[in-house]
Amino acid sequence: MNEFLLSIGMGLCVLVFLMLYRVVFGPGVFNRIAALSAIGTKTLIILLIIGFLYNRVDMFVDISMVYALLNLIGTLAASKYLETVGENL
Amino acid sequence: MIQKSDDIIIKTLARILVPFIQVYALYVIMHGHHSPGGGFQGGVILAASLILLMITHGLKDTQKRISEKAVAMFSSLGVFIYAGIGAVCLLLAGNYLDYSKLAKLLHVVPAEARSLGILGVEIGVGLAVMAVMFSVFLNISKGEDVEEDKKD
Repeated sequence: MNEFLLSIGMGLCVLVFLMLYRVVFGPGVFNRIAALSAIGTKTLIILLIIGFLYNRVDMFVDISMVYALLNLIGTLAASKYLETVGENL
Repeated sequence: MIQKSDDIIIKTLARILVPFIQVYALYVIMHGHHSPGGGFQGGVILAASLILLMITHGLKDTQKRISEKAVAMFSSLGVFIYAGIGAVCLLLAGNYLDYSKLAKLLHVVPAEARSLGILGVEIGVGLAVMAVMFSVFLNISKGEDVEEDKKD
């Protein structure tokens, strides 16, 4: 079971790098925000997998919930800023 | 100034989510001594709920809920709770923040007094962090407003 979870976690890490490409080079701001949000979601799942690997899921669930919450608020704040500044960035 | 959002999805989401975020923040503060979290983290989550409210419902509606005066009062109240518990321990012939000396005051065994003392301190820290984080956010959003006025 541990090997299975570990391989899933490593696969997600590779996907994070793909998203990072979109954040750095992606055309336009909206692609970047969407990619950042996706990285946040992947980090959340990786955190939970780490929790399963260390047999401390009860601790890691708390952290990952806060991470999801802050990810949502960060995305909302960035889009709010873009709404007032405009798309010409 | 941060305007009210027009999007009904965002507004409904925030309205439903904010109470749950605040309950979760209280959970993080209360269970700080046997799970990750504590006063600072819980305070940050409380501030995040207020910031979410401000982003979605605008400055005016948020200040109806929690005014700037209340924010200033909360920040000093949090520091007062923290320093006050420490000073009470000092008055009861212990070191600063030596919670076991609170046992005489609370009529419990010293171990339980330690648990209750750290809970009180964490509540104080949570209040102070929440208020200071939110006032930083308020001041930043108002500074943006002043700059725009100068440009015009």
